[in-house]
Amino acid sequence: MPIARAHPVFIRPRAIGRQIRSEGVLIMTKVVRFFKKPEGAAYLFIFPALAILLVFTVVPLAATLVFSLLNMDIFLQGFSFAGLDKFRKLLGDERFWNALKNTVYFTVLQVPLQIGLALAAAAFLTRSTPFRKMLRSVYFLPYVCSLTAIGIMWSFLLDPQTGLYMHYLERIGLPRLAFLRDPDLAMPTVIAMTVWRNFGYSMVILIAGMQSIPQTYYEAAQMDGAGKVRQFFSITLPLLVPALSFCVITATIAALQVFDQIFVTTQGGPVHATESVVFYIYLTGFRLVPFDLGYASAMSVFLFLVIMAVTLAMNRYFLNREVSGN
Amino acid sequence: MAEKWTLGKAASLAGVLLLAAVVLHPFLWLFVSTFKFEQELLKYPPAFFAGEYTFSQYVKVWDRIPLLDFFVNTVVFAASVAVISVFLDSMAGYAFARIRFKGNRFLFALVLMTLMVPYQVMMIPLFVEVYKFGLLDTYWGLILPRAASALGIFLMRSFFVSLPKDLEESARVDGLGEFRIYRSIMLPLCKSAMVTLGIFHLMNNWNDLLYPLMMTSSTEMRTLSAGIAMFVGQRSIEYGATLAASTLSLLPLLIAYAFAQRYFVQGVATSGLKG
Repeated sequence: MPIARAHPVFIRPRAIGRQIRSEGVLIMTKVVRFFKKPEGAAYLFIFPALAILLVFTVVPLAATLVFSLLNMDIFLQGFSFAGLDKFRKLLGDERFWNALKNTVYFTVLQVPLQIGLALAAAAFLTRSTPFRKMLRSVYFLPYVCSLTAIGIMWSFLLDPQTGLYMHYLERIGLPRLAFLRDPDLAMPTVIAMTVWRNFGYSMVILIAGMQSIPQTYYEAAQMDGAGKVRQFFSITLPLLVPALSFCVITATIAALQVFDQIFVTTQGGPVHATESVVFYIYLTGFRLVPFDLGYASAMSVFLFLVIMAVTLAMNRYFLNREVSGN
Repeated sequence: MAEKWTLGKAASLAGVLLLAAVVLHPFLWLFVSTFKFEQELLKYPPAFFAGEYTFSQYVKVWDRIPLLDFFVNTVVFAASVAVISVFLDSMAGYAFARIRFKGNRFLFALVLMTLMVPYQVMMIPLFVEVYKFGLLDTYWGLILPRAASALGIFLMRSFFVSLPKDLEESARVDGLGEFRIYRSIMLPLCKSAMVTLGIFHLMNNWNDLLYPLMMTSSTEMRTLSAGIAMFVGQRSIEYGATLAASTLSLLPLLIAYAFAQRYFVQGVATSGLKG
């Protein structure tokens, strides 16, 4: 610590200039000493990460609120205050309500299907199933792949002209369906594709949750003569609530923000049948003239409120159902 | 498998195997099809296998789209984010877990709150911000906003909390500085937690679509996900080349998954349990 050692030499009452300097040194010394202590060092440890979160998450979140009250476009010229105009526009925008309806439709079907399939797969894989580990890796595999590649793969397989699965359908005597090109079938197809990709993700979390349930519970239940099914519903499911609620809540939040698979497979079509809220936000801000960032922000705020409300409601619901494992 | 085989057991095994087939079949088709000729891919009725195979799609695709640029961009983006974020997350997680300081609880609660903010909600101001910083369509613009993650801090903190107490006390008595303690005592202990988190970040950023789509505007700056999606959206690329490009974009992660599956699965499993 050269500074600390040097400091007594500097303090000479007569030399005012030096004294000021020495005070500077003193402060420096204090600062250095402070950051050498654990409490001080802690701030240095957290600073970079917190600065990034502040600049790139907290500030943008606050800015979304401000932007939603402004007239602004992507060229960022000629801002003006719009008040609640954007929200008024939103209420009367049929395309937005259609997007919201599609998003809700997607969420309400996709989440239960994904969790249900994940739960079933997890229940069968934690038992003494042969190839258990291999099966688990296989189920998780699609989650490692980008939705871009998966969307491309599925839209080719389901192509009305050349799709292999179209041909399989025909071979078993079913009519040829247009799937992603059919306004009624496009959304269910996107949902099925998403479930197919994501169920392995939920399954891995549920398996981890199941493994943390003490084996003794099952042994006791067995002695009481409870069958496997009974054990699943009376032991596994109640004790799985924390893992299950995490899966349901994260899947719901993700579903409410669905974008990737729609961008790659249908671009919101046919005739807006798969246009989700986030996809419409993206179009409004970046693709549709006049690139209305203010309006896109207003929709973001609306979406945020919906996500918050749903998350809080679900949290409440699950907390009431949580049982202690002890 | 000492237990006796019952009908129910056989049925459930058939069920899980069927599910595995449903998961794998599209991938097998994709892989086989990348070796087919264009006319084979477009004929009806289609077939899983082709009469003859070719490697030409994999050769052709590099000329059709700037796939090499996409690869370089994706590696630079995803790998930098993974490395930087793991480093910063672990530092913050360490301090939150093991050092008492003023504001610890408050600041950590703040971190948890940012965890609840969906990216899609703040993407427009983020885009404006990165644009104002002059970083749009640059590597820094892609990397910086992702250089720390609330989830990462949260996971690393849970990990550090679980380490035995007083691990660092004797080191402090010996006069080791805080950074030395972090570097030489803590980091070696959390190697596997860091790899898990790193893989988690790598996978998410490699596969991400909307974020790189917004933060880049020129074709040369696109990532694999965003670049391939753009070309397919414009229908300006042939069938075979699209399949080859998609397969190539998946390959690095799939190879990593084959060798380090544990870390892929662990990242997801722990984020769920701790949550």
